[in-house]
Amino acid sequence: MNSASQPLLTLENITKRFKDLTAVNGINLEVSPGEKLVIIGPSGSGKSTLLRSINLLEEIDEGTIRFEGREVGYVMRHGKRHADRPQAISALRAEIGMVFQHFHLFPHMTVLGNVMEGPLTVQCKPADEARSIADGMLAKVGLSDKRDVFPATLSGGQKQRVAIARALAMHPKMMLFDEPTSALDPELVGEVFDAIHTLADEGMTMIIVTHHMGFARELADRVIFMDGGNFLAEGTPEELFSKGQDNERIRSFLNRLL
Amino acid sequence: MKYVSSRALVALFFLCTLAGTCRGAMDYDQLFRQSSDLMAQGDLDGALTLLKQVPAPAPGEDAGPFVSSRMQAARILASQEETDKALAACQEVLRLFPDNSEARNFVAALKDQLRPKWHTVLADTLRFLPALGRGAMMTLLLVLCTMLVSPLGGLLIALGRISTLRPVSGLCWFIIWFFRGTPLLLQLFFIYYGLPSLGITLSPMTAAVIGLGLNYSAYLGEIIRGAIQSIDHGQMEAAKAIGMSYGQAMRRVIIPQTYKRLMPPVGNEFIALIKDTALVSTIAMVELMRAADQLFNTYFNITALVLAAMIYLVLTTIFTFIFEKIEYRAGIYEQR
Repeated sequence: MNSASQPLLTLENITKRFKDLTAVNGINLEVSPGEKLVIIGPSGSGKSTLLRSINLLEEIDEGTIRFEGREVGYVMRHGKRHADRPQAISALRAEIGMVFQHFHLFPHMTVLGNVMEGPLTVQCKPADEARSIADGMLAKVGLSDKRDVFPATLSGGQKQRVAIARALAMHPKMMLFDEPTSALDPELVGEVFDAIHTLADEGMTMIIVTHHMGFARELADRVIFMDGGNFLAEGTPEELFSKGQDNERIRSFLNRLL
Repeated sequence: MKYVSSRALVALFFLCTLAGTCRGAMDYDQLFRQSSDLMAQGDLDGALTLLKQVPAPAPGEDAGPFVSSRMQAARILASQEETDKALAACQEVLRLFPDNSEARNFVAALKDQLRPKWHTVLADTLRFLPALGRGAMMTLLLVLCTMLVSPLGGLLIALGRISTLRPVSGLCWFIIWFFRGTPLLLQLFFIYYGLPSLGITLSPMTAAVIGLGLNYSAYLGEIIRGAIQSIDHGQMEAAKAIGMSYGQAMRRVIIPQTYKRLMPPVGNEFIALIKDTALVSTIAMVELMRAADQLFNTYFNITALVLAAMIYLVLTTIFTFIFEKIEYRAGIYEQR
């Protein structure tokens, strides 16, 4: 793997403004292949916006995104930044899986239909092949028995596992999790966490935005604390969660959560 | 005294006999003449009173005046729609002369009037149905064509309206503004009577489908736009996140979810459409309304209009049931 030398994802000076509010303020970040990065921080700190910017669901105002070394998402025309062609943007999204807080399963498709939709429609694979891929992904998240039901009949935890399988069916090179357990009842968090853990053990590169500190501590190679659109602190879980944390802002945030 | 009295008695007898016979014969003629005069003057009640003065004949006496008077009275009463009294007058005759054919026929005719008219209605129905059926088929054809054309037009207009390309959304806004803002009747007139002056001559059917299609596309466009925009934005994001293009996301994810939400308002529009096709009768197309109108004007018979109303109700009922079925099927995935 020559990629060990090269970061999978590089963010340079990413800035996103909503009218007067600067949600993401000049962020620089490198994510190596296989790395598990967890971003924590209070609500409104820009974590989700940063994640959505990576997937080009938010159009950034400044900065550069590199995926596998090449610049993606934006082109310069007449000295001005423009969003890249829709096909190029879709192609990048197909390589980066995303899991949302509120699942966003397609309610009019069965569980199997949801998972095979990407391979079928985006990758134009034959239905048989798409179905066998989907069955494999459903088996991985432990929901093979639910393949023919509609999402409305599932619990929150099951829905989120289907959403993970749907993203995995595209064989992404990287996964983005945007508060994957925040909309779940506490007793359902475990099953989703387990699914993500399995994925991590397989070496998937992932960025997880979460409020679950236990999750972060157990899974992360690196934890970033974000506030006001900036990275306030960065380090291994041990460093960041240690009692000797000198940053007052982080200490009070962690104390409130723990 | 005896002489005088006997002569007087004889004279009186003769006088009386004479007077009696003369008065009787003269009386009837004069009475009928008087009653005719009164009828001519419009005094029917007076004529009736006179006619009733004719007594029942003694056995062996001439029955002619009596029968004539009672039948004349019956005719007057029938004309005044006093059917019961007219019947009573005929019965007076029949009591004495059960075989009198004039009275019997008159009674039969009166009873025919009294009877419910269902058999005449049935006859009219059978007479009118073929023409109305042909009209209904035209109406149905028109409705089906418009139902095929307008959702497609509506979808294009809806997608155009939410397009970020200003010229496209502006054009679609204009189409909606124009076709919702002017009467359908005017649009039909323009297409059928106005376009020939631009060198475009259309058959009534084509003009009707174009007019109804454009008008209903404008309405459905707004309904479809509302339904698309009511779908959770997360659905579009999730579709894009697995790499779908805008078109793929619309076709595979967003639009299929609008079907259930579309059915109630679209059903409403289509029920209105079935009735709005009646306006097409004004551009020389013989559909159900026009067929009923023609029958009504030819026979001056309200049955044609009642039948047309019933056929419209049958059509709207059938479509209502179909729409309810589709709505149920479209939303089946929401059931837990």
